[in-house]
Amino acid sequence: MTTRTPLRTSLRLGLLALPAVAFFLVFSYAPLAGLVVAFKEFDISKGIFGSPWNGLANFRYFFSSGDAQRILLNTIVLNVLFLAATLAAGVTLAIMLNEIRGRFFKRAAQSTIFFPYFVSPVVIAIMLQVLLSGPNGSGGVVNDALTGLGLPEVGWYTEPGPWPWILTFVKVWQLGGYMSVIFLAAITSIPEDVYEAGQIDGASRAQMALRITLPLLKPTAAVLLVLGVGRIFYGDFGTIYAIVGDNGTLFPTTDVIDTYVFRSLRQIGDFGTTAAIGLFQSVVGFVLVSTAVLIQRRYSKETSLL
Amino acid sequence: MTSSVAKTTARTTARRAGGLEPFTLISIAGVALFMIACLIPFWVILSGSFTDEQTLAGKGYSLLPHPFSLAAYKLIFTGPTLVSAYVASVFITLVGTALALSFTSGLSWVIARRLPYVSRPLAIFAYIPMLFSGGLVPLYLLVTQYLKLQNSYFAVILPLLVAPFLVFIQVSAFRQLPEEILDSARVDGAGELQIFFRIGLPLSKPILAVVGLFYAVHYWNEWFTALLFMSDVHKYPLPLLLQNLISNVSFSQMLPAAAQQTTPVYQLRLALTVVTIGPILLAYPFAQRYFVKGITLGATKG
Repeated sequence: MTTRTPLRTSLRLGLLALPAVAFFLVFSYAPLAGLVVAFKEFDISKGIFGSPWNGLANFRYFFSSGDAQRILLNTIVLNVLFLAATLAAGVTLAIMLNEIRGRFFKRAAQSTIFFPYFVSPVVIAIMLQVLLSGPNGSGGVVNDALTGLGLPEVGWYTEPGPWPWILTFVKVWQLGGYMSVIFLAAITSIPEDVYEAGQIDGASRAQMALRITLPLLKPTAAVLLVLGVGRIFYGDFGTIYAIVGDNGTLFPTTDVIDTYVFRSLRQIGDFGTTAAIGLFQSVVGFVLVSTAVLIQRRYSKETSLL
Repeated sequence: MTSSVAKTTARTTARRAGGLEPFTLISIAGVALFMIACLIPFWVILSGSFTDEQTLAGKGYSLLPHPFSLAAYKLIFTGPTLVSAYVASVFITLVGTALALSFTSGLSWVIARRLPYVSRPLAIFAYIPMLFSGGLVPLYLLVTQYLKLQNSYFAVILPLLVAPFLVFIQVSAFRQLPEEILDSARVDGAGELQIFFRIGLPLSKPILAVVGLFYAVHYWNEWFTALLFMSDVHKYPLPLLLQNLISNVSFSQMLPAAAQQTTPVYQLRLALTVVTIGPILLAYPFAQRYFVKGITLGATKG
């Protein structure tokens, strides 16, 4: 068909893409021009292009503020935890689901574990409050269980230590089912004879899962890993901000680039510095994802993304 | 397994065959455990939303609503702000999804047809925003200073209108349409636009449902852009209202004046949560099937 379509038809059909093109120009490409704010002493009354340049001062200010190290570290630590945990949960759940033979149970299980994906971060935040802090700041389902076991209550919302793990738990709860669908699809595309061969060799179910299914899921995991690595500098703002909000006692372990940027924009109104952080985030993210794609391409040509 | 019939069934279901080995049992237990973990938070919230406020405050949450109370729900459906939040969310979801779906379909069709000079540049054009974005500040300045969309539902709808990821899902679905059908329409004298509207779209209903659902869920749950750009309490969409109830900010403004002295705060929070999840729960049995299809398509095509 490509050879039979003259340029004129191309352009006429191209009109269909016009609304989306306009959207990308306004909301994705125009903001790139707005990134010059990162190099300016921004004054809202003078606008983006009228404000005076100040070179790298915004970047210097951020990196010398003492917050930089903490929020960068938090961002990376949390994202690595999220990525590792959701991938592991997805693979594990997929392999486990694959063992289940009852059609009804399998379907019910899939529907149930997939549901948290549909839930708004705000709702998750409320669930966590119910579980961790009770209606008036003490108690909660988890604490009730702890006291039931003779253990002391924990003031979860005043204790920054456990939060990376709590958030990881939330991520697994939210995305475990979603990830398992991706891996289950990959499992069903594994050719049947591989398992037959395994069966003839007398492999047990566990051995087949560990020696056949698991290694064959590697390419899928690699693709998801690459996508995740590209997002490693983005803090999953929605979930973290919904849960932690402006609770400063939890910042030592939960404050990430996105929440920091949001706060400084909202409370301090420092456009220059926050734009600088955003630019830094985008550049590092871009470098990371490109590197990851290149590495992945070298090792498995067929499953590459581009 | 001695008869040949048994052998063939065993062969075709090799990955399912075998007795109930320990590994299978562990798997069933593991999945069941995860299922319970997925359900319990919903149940606690549902039961709490029907529990009398005083019991909630005094004894905390429990798995059974006792004493049973509908106070919070009565408040929700009589309070004007809570109703207007519902209206806001429905508007954002319906209009947002309709616009997003039509924009995405148009772009995806053009990319999927592999037109010379047009398709490939467009694909790259749509891919770049996935890799590189301006971030919060330029977006904030754009919406507030240049487009002046504060307190408009379109401030929530527009910035999220086309998701590159969903464009690529739809492109790969459009490419699976049999070329012969399109060709035969061409032979019959249909123009390219006619082919898109009369043949391409009707044949792609399943994928339109998938992509539409992704957008609908994403708009229904959206609160970040609302948080950024909406300051008028009466225009808050549901998730933002909920978020405000968590932090108790401007709480009193949201309730009918008469009810304020005996407001069941905790119960109300839970009831509003239930009301927020409600529509998703109703659409779920239908939606889930399509979602799985969409993810699988996205995952295999990258």
